[in-house]
Amino acid sequence: MSGGRMKLAQEIRLLRRGRDWRGRAPAPRSAQPWTEGPRTRSFPTEWARTPLAAAARTVAFDGVLRTVTWSQTRPEVHGLDLLEGVKGPVVFVANHASHLDTPLILGSMPAQVRRRVAVAAAADYFFDARWRAVATALTFNAFPIERRGVERSLDLASELIEDGWSLLLYPEGTRSPDGWARRFRMGAALLCREHGIPAVPLVLRGTYQAMPRGGFWPKPGRPVVSVRYGRPIACEPDESTGAFNGRLEDEVGRLWVEHDEGWWASLHSQDRRRAPRGPEASEWRRKWEATRPQPPSERHHRIWRRR
Amino acid sequence: MSRPGLVLEVDERTPPILVHEGEGFRLERFPLGTRVIYPPDSLPGLRDLTGRIRDALLNPLGSEPLPELLRSGMRLTIVFDDLSLPLPPMRAPDVRQRVIEQVLEMAAAAGVDDVELIAGNALHRRMTPAEIKHIVGERVFTSFWPDRLRNHDAEDRDDLKSLGQTRHGEDVEINRRAVESDLIVYVNINLVAMNGGAKSVAVGLASYKSLRHHHNVHTLRHSRSFNDPPNSAMHHSYDRMHELLSESVRVFHIECTLNNDQFPSPFEFLNKREWEWTLKDQAKFLAAKRANDLAPAGARHRVWQGMRAPYGVTGVHAGATDQVHERTLAAVHRQQLTEVHGQSDVLMLGLPYLCPYNVNSVMNPILVYSLGLGYYFNMYRGKPLVREGGALIMYHPMKSEFHPLHHPSYIDFYEEVLTQTTDPATIETKYEEQYATDPWYVHLYRNSYAYHGVHPFYMWYWGAHALSHLGDVICVGADRKVASRLGFRAASTLADALEMAGETVGRSPSLTYLHTPPMTLADVR
Repeated sequence: MSGGRMKLAQEIRLLRRGRDWRGRAPAPRSAQPWTEGPRTRSFPTEWARTPLAAAARTVAFDGVLRTVTWSQTRPEVHGLDLLEGVKGPVVFVANHASHLDTPLILGSMPAQVRRRVAVAAAADYFFDARWRAVATALTFNAFPIERRGVERSLDLASELIEDGWSLLLYPEGTRSPDGWARRFRMGAALLCREHGIPAVPLVLRGTYQAMPRGGFWPKPGRPVVSVRYGRPIACEPDESTGAFNGRLEDEVGRLWVEHDEGWWASLHSQDRRRAPRGPEASEWRRKWEATRPQPPSERHHRIWRRR
Repeated sequence: MSRPGLVLEVDERTPPILVHEGEGFRLERFPLGTRVIYPPDSLPGLRDLTGRIRDALLNPLGSEPLPELLRSGMRLTIVFDDLSLPLPPMRAPDVRQRVIEQVLEMAAAAGVDDVELIAGNALHRRMTPAEIKHIVGERVFTSFWPDRLRNHDAEDRDDLKSLGQTRHGEDVEINRRAVESDLIVYVNINLVAMNGGAKSVAVGLASYKSLRHHHNVHTLRHSRSFNDPPNSAMHHSYDRMHELLSESVRVFHIECTLNNDQFPSPFEFLNKREWEWTLKDQAKFLAAKRANDLAPAGARHRVWQGMRAPYGVTGVHAGATDQVHERTLAAVHRQQLTEVHGQSDVLMLGLPYLCPYNVNSVMNPILVYSLGLGYYFNMYRGKPLVREGGALIMYHPMKSEFHPLHHPSYIDFYEEVLTQTTDPATIETKYEEQYATDPWYVHLYRNSYAYHGVHPFYMWYWGAHALSHLGDVICVGADRKVASRLGFRAASTLADALEMAGETVGRSPSLTYLHTPPMTLADVR
């Protein structure tokens, strides 16, 4: 509640209240039935894949974003050796919990792989304003993808694969609201099956704790985050999209368990597909579990201590 | 399709809500659980307005097509609403201009020579030539001003004609030129459900002798609300008068309805729901708010009064008054009606810079009172938004500022009458006649640009129903002396106001905020 003339800072603070860094506020619960669907418009992104834009991206991403990400968090990357010999195009498939995920994945990839990766970004979120669309396309080589079941929403993704680009997709469709993964939608599996290309599963851990939904900057203290790559898997000739999608989920689940219990245990885990979905419990308990700090792995411990 | 109206319940994720307060606005954090009533989204305007007007004139409701009513040698009077409608004034070309031009085209084609245009301003101030030109357009103004385009003069005895009394003994005295015409074409804008229909001619062209039968404390206390014509004693009186005058003159009624696009592009965030503000809207809010707060009072006043609304026209209906008005009301409801379940203990209102009587003028304390307790309190159908004995909290700086040219009798009313009593019935009995017949006020009304001497009384009666219904009225941000003169209390913040209201409605009252403008009519079940 306010009274009298406010200072500019107070005014801005009041205006920002309940809004995220992009100035968006979630609809109040009682207004949700009347919330309009997002209005999206097509935004050309071919320019973002030209040599000039790629050069600018090298500066923007390698020079700024990766540096910031690596300085504000403690990334651990596992399984990069499994990418050896991978020649695109492939579809990288990951769980999604934070805006840190994309810079972390791209930053963890070898440069020659990263330069040929295009990132699918929600059209209604990243491409609804021109300035945001330009920034997203330029920094991440992103292209818009409709996530509300719009017909032909995968057309652009298909074209990119045909042009030899690898894709980074988040099959959950959105960032996790509580740190745990959701069911995978079929889009990634469908693209792999239709184009006969492999999918590379990978798991991100700790990004929800480091910068959950609504966050603009990683939490202080350089939280540990990890990227764990899996072995590329391909759709069998007689395998349905649904079955392949299940296999993808299974592999991502295995990588999740591998992060917690190790590789050998993950191979024997009975319920590994469900592991990323978290406990079936009340909302607060799910969040409580998801926000448990990630311990740094052994190799970060100092061996030589100063006296 | 536009979204319907919404009753929001403030929760922890609700961003601060916009509240108007005179020539300014603020963001307010209402307590959790507060109901906020939003109107339906602005309806799309007609794409082919010219075609729609033509169609309405050629295919009217309950009447022959207009060209068939026009003939050479007849007396035609075109009457139009004055500058009190719409609010804010419409960006040129005004829809009245568009309609009048087509009516005149048909009159010219029929060879009608005796045409006169009269503004139905009743006891409102005369409009200046520039204001009339804005409404009727350059072509009409050039062709008719000043001899055959004029303001109605409710004190010109030679230009008034008595039509007798209704069965309830109400005098009907109307503009002589209009009554003695073969046809009156009334061009109306319906901003709210109160306007239009039988009211147009019976009020717009009437004299004090006629108006006092419905603009009085008794009638207004029994108009619940005056935005719900079937339950409004005031409208029942209009209907009786209209019935009587229809025996003497034929009226071809043209009514236009507007959408809720009340603010131009730089202020378009004022038309939106706060959680849907984009970054651009927020930047506009911040820029407008800071500029507005820092601007000298004169500049701020000029900016607000210079605002012209980019209204879209949602409907044009023509023909017999009753049938036309039925369609018009449906269109108004479609744009403004929001269903609300139950009353609350406290109603909160943000009062903007404008009411029907301060266009190009100053919002004085009596007009603030009238806007809050008259117009906004009565924006309901069924039951008031606040329970009987509840509290009203309204935001307005409420300064002791008057426009001496436009509101001379308001100054005297404020200094002489309100210092004695604020009771509408006492004021009516003791002072009305004196102000209504004061020769100086009559002179200023007729020859200057002053509202009639009795006009501040009507404004006070306008709030009579609310005054008898409410247990407390608290004004946030108001000048304490002014609030006290009006019989209210002032508070610095909403928290203080709620604390004060606690004396009347208890410590945890239910709260409702009527988010208007844009115009919102609550259908309280």
